[in-house]
Amino acid sequence: MTDRCPYLDYRRKAGGQSFDAARPYCTAAEEFVQPMRADICAGRYGLDHATDCEIYLAHTDDTTVDVAGATPDGNESREVDDE
Amino acid sequence: MSYDDYLAGKPVIVTAALTGGVQGKEAHPNLPETPGEIAAAAAACEEAGASIVHLHARRDSGERAFSTERFQEVTDAVRNATDDVVIQHSTGGTGAPDALRAEPLRTDPAPEMASLDMGPLNRYDRLTSENTRATVRMLHEEMRERGIKPELEVFNDGHLNESLAIVDELDAPPYVNLIFGPGTLSVPHPRSLLTMVSHLPENAEFNVLGFSRHQLPLTTMSMVLGGHVRVGLEDNIYYRKGELAESNAQFVERAVRIADELGRPVATPARAREILSL
Repeated sequence: MTDRCPYLDYRRKAGGQSFDAARPYCTAAEEFVQPMRADICAGRYGLDHATDCEIYLAHTDDTTVDVAGATPDGNESREVDDE
Repeated sequence: MSYDDYLAGKPVIVTAALTGGVQGKEAHPNLPETPGEIAAAAAACEEAGASIVHLHARRDSGERAFSTERFQEVTDAVRNATDDVVIQHSTGGTGAPDALRAEPLRTDPAPEMASLDMGPLNRYDRLTSENTRATVRMLHEEMRERGIKPELEVFNDGHLNESLAIVDELDAPPYVNLIFGPGTLSVPHPRSLLTMVSHLPENAEFNVLGFSRHQLPLTTMSMVLGGHVRVGLEDNIYYRKGELAESNAQFVERAVRIADELGRPVATPARAREILSL
């Protein structure tokens, strides 16, 4: 299993939508994630956000965010290229 | 199947694709995800005239699930909520390993039918559902061992070639689902449907699935050509332009009304079993 995407969160509410159970949410796209995309976010089945997710690639500067969601010194990073 | 079947008033089989694995409640609040929700949707669709329900499973979070255990929960709930509907499990799964793809075939009892994707298709920018011949063969062999009728998922003309290549290995009649939509799917146009139908073996039964706005016209055309139809929120969340559908059953009700206007009776589950030799 690969690492989960640093932009993946699980939320019950966001953007006017609310759900009984927490659902995958992309903090880069700022929307709930479709089920198939969520497998990439969570790193299931060998899928990897760093190679398989165009949203991650569009929002990430590889020099500031690694695939584990942490900088090389271990500090969490939320640096995002918002274009 | 042919126009003669339409003229003869051959029954039309309506399949309801309730859930799918691509979109969820983030796209449509009424899309069923839990076993209870899927069972309720199945019961409503059977009541409306569907004779087959096509099932996927989800985690509590709405994410995809492929395990036998989760499919067992779903199929048990559907069997408890319905009278006689034919249960068809999905074996599709872009990105999922082959071992997981086979798990929906292993419920007790086995589903009467299961989908069998006949080749690759693209998803988003970087995913491909590979469906190699080895994968197709593995799934088909397990279906044969368990007495499960495959529905051949023909996403484009090349997949029809693949289906024709194995038609002698299939128990009669082969059941082919012709799929139309964007990307690597067949071009969604009446001409494409006519061409695909013209290449089918004479003994084949065919079903038509049109994604999004193509669902209504192409399934209607299927009825005129003697084919069957698949409708539901897995394939289309809009009832008409700009208007979300209320439910899966709403699509089934529309398909039944169209079939009635065209003079084709809707197959009961028992009649569907006869037509497909389940």
